[in-house]
Amino acid sequence: MTHAHDPFVRVVKRTNIERSKVVLFRLTALVGALLAGALLVALLGYDPAQMYGDMVSGAIKGFIGVNKKGVLAFTNASQATIKIMTLLLVSALGLTMAFKMRFWNIGGEGQILVGAICSSYVAIQFGDTWPQWLILPAMFLAGCVGGGLYGLLPAIFKARWGTNETLFTLMLNYIALNFITYLQYQPSWQITGTSFPKIRDFADSTQLPGVLGVHIGWIIALLLAVLVYLYFAKTKQGYEITVVGESANTARYAGMNVTRIILRTMFISGAICGFAGFLQVSGADGTLTTDTAGGAGFTAITVAWLAGMNPLLMIVYSFFIAILERGSNRIQTTMGIPKSAADMLIGIILFFMLGVEFFINYRLVFRARHRKEEAAA
Amino acid sequence: MRKFLAAVLSMMLLASLIVLPASAEEAVTMDNIKIGFVHVSDPSDMGYTYNHDLGTKAMQAALGLADDQIINKYNVPETDECADALQELIDDGCTIIFGTSFGFENYMLAAAEENPDVEFCHATGFQAAGSGLANMHNYFGKIFEARYLSGVVAGMKSLEIKNNMLGYVTAMPFAECISGFTSFYLGAKSVNPDVTMKVMYTNSWNDPTKEAQVAQALIDQGCGILSQHCDSTATATTCEANKVFHVGYNSSMISVAPNASLTSAVWDWSAYLIFAVNSVVAGEAIPADWAGDLASGMCDLSEINEAIAAPGTDEAVETARAGILSGDLKVFAGPLTGAGKNYDGSDATIELKADEFFDESGSQSAPSWNYIIPGVEVIGE
Repeated sequence: MTHAHDPFVRVVKRTNIERSKVVLFRLTALVGALLAGALLVALLGYDPAQMYGDMVSGAIKGFIGVNKKGVLAFTNASQATIKIMTLLLVSALGLTMAFKMRFWNIGGEGQILVGAICSSYVAIQFGDTWPQWLILPAMFLAGCVGGGLYGLLPAIFKARWGTNETLFTLMLNYIALNFITYLQYQPSWQITGTSFPKIRDFADSTQLPGVLGVHIGWIIALLLAVLVYLYFAKTKQGYEITVVGESANTARYAGMNVTRIILRTMFISGAICGFAGFLQVSGADGTLTTDTAGGAGFTAITVAWLAGMNPLLMIVYSFFIAILERGSNRIQTTMGIPKSAADMLIGIILFFMLGVEFFINYRLVFRARHRKEEAAA
Repeated sequence: MRKFLAAVLSMMLLASLIVLPASAEEAVTMDNIKIGFVHVSDPSDMGYTYNHDLGTKAMQAALGLADDQIINKYNVPETDECADALQELIDDGCTIIFGTSFGFENYMLAAAEENPDVEFCHATGFQAAGSGLANMHNYFGKIFEARYLSGVVAGMKSLEIKNNMLGYVTAMPFAECISGFTSFYLGAKSVNPDVTMKVMYTNSWNDPTKEAQVAQALIDQGCGILSQHCDSTATATTCEANKVFHVGYNSSMISVAPNASLTSAVWDWSAYLIFAVNSVVAGEAIPADWAGDLASGMCDLSEINEAIAAPGTDEAVETARAGILSGDLKVFAGPLTGAGKNYDGSDATIELKADEFFDESGSQSAPSWNYIIPGVEVIGE
């Protein structure tokens, strides 16, 4: 037998890997990421130790405590982080519904925005007249249904005509974004007292109450993570999603209505993203802008994958990425590190964190070792 | 995995518990004052934020401030993140905070109510006077005066090249932009009564690709001189490539378009920044609404490109400048008619008689001229 055409390195799927090894791999990746980030920052002429210190303290300094008014609350630094985390977590939970089914929903951004637009419509129309107990549920419902229908659209096309859902959902993002630009010029939406193209600020009654200084959305997001976990683990519908994801033909053979499952799941996926949009306009911003989603629909894809589609792990990872985002924002101020460099730093860290998944699932076999293994066999 | 993450996170929490001691209350002086800025983009835009940042640097030099007395928050979107940025600046000890983008206003109003000891100065806004808050202020400038002068430069050039069609690349259909191109047109018309102007919107403050496309479209329609109200230099470079002329905005664009760019209408924000910071240190109140102008040096014309400007340009500009400074020349002066929209979207018209004028930015620093006048054609509406 000749080995003349053996590649220098081969990629082999791992069949089993011990848990301890997985932890070791991830730990190595994290250390590697921090070192690579430190190198980048040092090359730019900044102090890496100070940078990581500023990032962490800027994101969670004090974390929680009694504030000046004598009330228990998250500190100012951690409030900002938790708001970012809430948006990321809810969006990631929504996208995971579709991803589990191997339906590549890249349209989270658009579904968040359409949810936000629908909630905003209710807020602008009825915010001044309806009481808070009525307006908030109405906004919630409008946001979920709006986002859900916007998610349903590519699913219908996929089920009926086999369109590519990745491109379809991606393009829908830009339609939603530009629709907000259009709304900025509509007198019924526009801020009053000036002709500036900006959507008006909503009445106070449309704003969610706060818990520990952050809108109640963060608690709902945590509960939602548990709910989505149970949905996948314990319900028939959740099981159907997994089966369709593994093989649509198997699902058909088992008597499942695949079209119905795809449509239903994409509606739920979009609805959860729409819910994230509702949280953003009613909890945080108090108005609608083209920055309402702020890229969360894309970052949430990273959260979902880092967590391996595990809804409970998404709590951890959304918090982690929120710290990175908030921290990178902080070092721009304290150290004058440019935004582009801070973005590169986040990119490097995420690259390592995602890259290690490859080495957990596959291993590299080099030529010489490969021969030895064959000889042994 | 979970245990590991839990360990890492608890370590991070522990690290974060090291809280810096709070500084004792002391009187604000020029040596200890901290000044915060919230910007919607960063100076690399080479336009609005760049120019505002130049003002900050001029203020720092004029007042002898140390680097750590100025804290800049760049790239802050007009969302709740603005509230977080303001809070961060307050926590860092700022006693005066400047916000430079329109959409920041409501977050600044809320912060001003919460923090009566901190002064909030908001550029381009309109709600300070009506808010009843002593520590909330609006500022802007009568840039239309500088634009009128830049229009004079363009009008002189149109006579020389015998092309009466001007073009104008602008951001969005609302008063600030409409007031801008109308004053430019009126300046040009004051020296060339036959001049007309085509206007196109990009619907964005900073989109170099679209600005270049719109500029090209206007040139293709026969415009011989373009002006602009958007952040990038794409209009200038497109003019340079097409061998037509250009009048810029925000900063001088002669360096990127030496054979096209005649001059620019520019801001010097330091005039207000120095005034406001001096007021805080002296313990004096800052007006609720402040509009800088040609006289105060906040708005002006940048250098005129003598190599390509038409003969007699300097004299014409100086005559107009003297008129504006003395008050004899009003930019929006009758007889003048125009048609536009009210804030509620309904149609509105204006008709100024020979002895009347529209007091732009008189009662409120933000521009309010919202009418299209004869001779100006808006394309794509």
